[in-house]
Amino acid sequence: MTQAQVTIGVDIGGTFTDLVMLEPESGRLFNEKVLTTPDDPSRGVLEGIALILRGNGVAPAQVMRVIHGTTLVANALIERKGVPTALVTTAGFRDVIEIGREWRYDTYDLFIGVVEPLVRRALRFEVTERVGPDGAVLAPLCDDSVEQLVAALRGVEVEAIAVSLLHAFKNGAHEQRLRDRLAAAFPERTICISSEVMPEIGEYERTSTAIANAYVQPIFRRYILRLSQGLKAMGIARDLFLMQSDGGTVHQSTAMDFPIRLVQSGPAGGVQATTLIGRLAGEADLLCFDMGGTTAKACLIEGGEPTRSTDFEVARMFRFKKGSGIPLKVPVVDMIEIGAGGGSIARVNRMGLIQVGPDSSSAVPGPACYGQGGADPTVTDADLLLGYLDPGSFLGGDMALDRAAAAAAIEARIAGPLGLSVTEAAWGIHETVNENMSQAAGIHALEKGRRADRFVMVPIGGAGPVHACQVARKLRMRSVICPLGAGVASAFGFLASPMSFEFVQASVSALDGLDIAALRRMFGELEAKGRELLSKAGIDASAFGLRIQASMRYQGQGYEVDVPLDPKAVAPGMQAEDLQAALQAAFEGAYRALYGRIETGMALEVVSWRLVVASPYPDLVPQAAAAGDGDLAAALKGRRPVYDGDAGDFVETPVYDRYRLAEGMSWAGPAIVEERESTLVIPAGSRARIDRFRNLIVDFSYPAA
Amino acid sequence: MTKRLSPIQLGIVWQRLTGLMDEVAQTFVRTSFSVVVRENWDLACSLMDADGRQFAQSSRSIPSFIGTMPRTLQGMLQRYPRETLEPGDVLISNDPWLGTGHLNDITMVQPIFRGDSLVGYVGSTFHSVDIGGAPSVTAKDAFEEGLCIPVAKIRRRGEENEDVIAFLRENLREPDETLGDIRAQFASYVLAANRLLQLMQEEGIEDLTEITDEILDRSERSMRGTIEGIPDGEFSDSVTADGFDTELTIRCTVRKTGSEIEVDYAGTAAQVPWPVNCVMNFTFAYSAYALKCALDPAAPNNDGCFRPIRILAPEGSLVNAQRPAPVWARHLSGHYLPFVIYRALSQIVPERVAAESGSPLWNVYFKGVGRNDRKFVKMFFMSGGYGARPGSDGPSTLSFPSNVANTPIEQFENAVPLIVTAKELIPDSGGAGQFRGGLGQRLSFRSASPQPLSFVIRHERVKNPPGGLLGGLAGAKGVDLVNGEKIPAKTAMTLAAGDVVTFETPGGGGMGPPDRRDRPALLRDVADGLVTAEAARRVYGADLAEGQ
Repeated sequence: MTQAQVTIGVDIGGTFTDLVMLEPESGRLFNEKVLTTPDDPSRGVLEGIALILRGNGVAPAQVMRVIHGTTLVANALIERKGVPTALVTTAGFRDVIEIGREWRYDTYDLFIGVVEPLVRRALRFEVTERVGPDGAVLAPLCDDSVEQLVAALRGVEVEAIAVSLLHAFKNGAHEQRLRDRLAAAFPERTICISSEVMPEIGEYERTSTAIANAYVQPIFRRYILRLSQGLKAMGIARDLFLMQSDGGTVHQSTAMDFPIRLVQSGPAGGVQATTLIGRLAGEADLLCFDMGGTTAKACLIEGGEPTRSTDFEVARMFRFKKGSGIPLKVPVVDMIEIGAGGGSIARVNRMGLIQVGPDSSSAVPGPACYGQGGADPTVTDADLLLGYLDPGSFLGGDMALDRAAAAAAIEARIAGPLGLSVTEAAWGIHETVNENMSQAAGIHALEKGRRADRFVMVPIGGAGPVHACQVARKLRMRSVICPLGAGVASAFGFLASPMSFEFVQASVSALDGLDIAALRRMFGELEAKGRELLSKAGIDASAFGLRIQASMRYQGQGYEVDVPLDPKAVAPGMQAEDLQAALQAAFEGAYRALYGRIETGMALEVVSWRLVVASPYPDLVPQAAAAGDGDLAAALKGRRPVYDGDAGDFVETPVYDRYRLAEGMSWAGPAIVEERESTLVIPAGSRARIDRFRNLIVDFSYPAA
Repeated sequence: MTKRLSPIQLGIVWQRLTGLMDEVAQTFVRTSFSVVVRENWDLACSLMDADGRQFAQSSRSIPSFIGTMPRTLQGMLQRYPRETLEPGDVLISNDPWLGTGHLNDITMVQPIFRGDSLVGYVGSTFHSVDIGGAPSVTAKDAFEEGLCIPVAKIRRRGEENEDVIAFLRENLREPDETLGDIRAQFASYVLAANRLLQLMQEEGIEDLTEITDEILDRSERSMRGTIEGIPDGEFSDSVTADGFDTELTIRCTVRKTGSEIEVDYAGTAAQVPWPVNCVMNFTFAYSAYALKCALDPAAPNNDGCFRPIRILAPEGSLVNAQRPAPVWARHLSGHYLPFVIYRALSQIVPERVAAESGSPLWNVYFKGVGRNDRKFVKMFFMSGGYGARPGSDGPSTLSFPSNVANTPIEQFENAVPLIVTAKELIPDSGGAGQFRGGLGQRLSFRSASPQPLSFVIRHERVKNPPGGLLGGLAGAKGVDLVNGEKIPAKTAMTLAAGDVVTFETPGGGGMGPPDRRDRPALLRDVADGLVTAEAARRVYGADLAEGQ
């Protein structure tokens, strides 16, 4: 059918593996969906690729790139299905990973549980050595203790070894020597050193990251090798690329060295899709709102770039609470995740108030309206009774929803006990979960030093569009942009991502003590390393760009503000004073925007540098839809009573077929727009319109504050 | 008048209030200048209504500060009555008898105005490592313990009060750090006021007290509901603190009648001329906190929870000390209160309580001259093991009843000329039991300073270990050593370059008889070296030859 080159994005979800194929020349997009094959996910991926090629008459040789995102790494950590792993650390510190940070993430729970280390104590070993806080060697790495270590490691059954020594982020020489010795002694074992996995200060978090990387690496490697062999056998000669948690893609060989950087691979794809959708719609400041069955995630995109962080926590064991999971220092798109999804369970708490989540009814029995025997009322049950979801067209009609079961559950558990009508109770559930989400998103924005109200929301995920407009209004946002096919956003996002690799280098220095020559050298080395890692992608290295960010604070503070730095500021010929002035001005601007004040007479310091080597964003413009005849009536599927919270009653509301909405159409809310995987609820008082990429944009207005 | 609140609206507003206070705490922490605020999170932020009733606070808060805040506000209002307050004013004090019980905790409060009317207060308490003076284990009265800031307006109508600032700057060793933290809170109060007013406008709330009434009433009902389910009666027990020249008994009687509980400390030792005396505020705070954890942990915390609770302590006793008793290390008594309450409660509701933890909280102050030739005072926290619970082992090294995080070694060594040579668990320190207590930790510091470097400690549980419950055994006692020689647990000493000081924190008590311990769990402990083979035989009576 086509002779042009194509790129393919593949995202493995819990139920489905989504595929998106793009023909860059024409901008044409093709979607495919196959069942995920949990026993060996690569099988589903290969089947899906074969299907999408065959179905569209594309030959394997036309595939110029396959970009893949996977939950394999996250799942291995959550389910604790990594390989048996040992830890090697500085003498006296083998329990750092078990001692943790000593605080309780829940103030009142006497029965609090703490995360169990991935490496049990019997498999944690020590070596005699010591590096000081400035990187100087206080005690050399003792050869005898290394040989004793090798002997001890021979006696244990492990597949991977993580090495994390104190202050190795300042001086990694001892870790490197250990790695070389252990690799020689145990060629069949995976060895990871903390100074390579993530050279950041903080022994607990860095050690945790090195361990997690080692723990998942052997399984990840086997998976990637199986997949790339499968692709070759299929006739796709190109190497595989993978989506990292920070929204950049890398070659398979780099991904195999640092699999922990893929811990948030899929969600990062969704964020990159959001970024592209915003770019096409002319919006650069976005809030990606991804609501699924069990959780909701939010991420800010600013100036066309997702906000990033190097702090992440996986496998939270208690109510998604910060502090209850495994801490990781990895570059990630900075997301919050809370226990608020379509399946979140509503109950009346001890205060006599409605509480939603954080727990959810799993797929079976699921929400009461699934008719599988679930007795707990959920968000989906409330959405159904309020008329937001249609019992007959959920998931394109594949699953009929049972209104009576939903009403019975809400009556029994919420409306009855509170003396409310079923409708009032359903609205209470809906509003409560919206409040949960808007509050979490608002606090997240503040933690990033932003205010949510100047962002535009892009909802993705199955349940996102149902709640998007109400959440956006609570946050006083201007608009919601709802892309077509929000359900396959992640796979699409893989195609929309640049090739990139990020380095973080901890290096505390007073602003007035910055050594510009040393910085120039460090940036040069990291940039060269980044280019080398990326050039495997077969992209012209001259196209790679360099972004530098300084993490800065007042001396004495412990939290930093990220400040972008133009690489030209360290170009030959520039003076230290120029660099300092540029950094100070940028810092003060950012700090004031964040906290409303600056401190006078306090010295500044740079804590770390973040350096990203990246290709430009792919020049990806999906084919614009053919303009329709502008007849909105043709898209009208019917009308149904839909609850309007402001009016406090049901209002007869038009229901539109998303697939028949075309560029240029516009109308006033209230309205419902249905597509296969999701339903958009457009409230009264807002206006909706369709842009030339068939995005549906809802605009809100507010009374002046 | 606001329209009658629906439970739906109340739920939404309540959620927003809690979220708001988390934003306030975040703003404070992220702009603070001290390790103790940002790493140890030694702070709390609260919201009170126009009547001074606390109805919301930051979710991660130091338990004692939550309990003392409303009482501190009342004390401040006696000095500056409500009608003397203007928009942009901030009140400050660290008076131990108004505040949290020692000078190092500074409390500030800002009134929030809507137009001309005062609608509430935002307040916060934080720990300042230095507060001037010479706090020491031998202080005989509170005057020696540092600067007491009487209730004063540190900000007037949004402008800093230069006199108060100058007073502080002149009396503090690290004025930039403490004043930096104070100013960080100014920014967070502005945010709190703006957010609260926005919330009132958006939700159409004219009178905030209608909301706070509902919040407090519902919280009260929830607490009463649990209390009613417990049999009536009177239950007593006591714990013994190491003390200074003599051991100190803390005795408590829990009287439960209907939906109310009274905790009475009659029988507790008299106040002493050592800095371990608790003021009533502190006693109330930790007693109320302990009851909330055991009885109604899931409900949000506010003044309503404590209406059914009465705390009594004889005037002049260790737990209701009168001016000018020395109070600097008052947690050395106060942190025992949850444990003595749980000992009494274990006689009626054993399923709701934990065995004793390896606390009062251990810490050490180091003083000396840093690499930059400036004097420094740095505090380092180190938690002991947490007590075992019915159904689960106590986690090792977890802060309770306080809730402070530790300082990463890599950051600590960056700040001070000390090298940490060990931070490790101590085998066999967890109290044996069907469920084992958490392990304590060993921390060793070697001085790398060419100049003398001094340290101050005041540690408990070196004579009386954390007790077990229901047949569980005690955890290990704590130990302090310099160059391998035992030293007193309450002392100030000087280290020469190369000297090593070692602290071994106590382990948590066990729960239930050791011979009922699940065998695979015991074998796993032995394999991991948490319990030695010798202890497994001697204490648990396990024959390890078989099954290993």
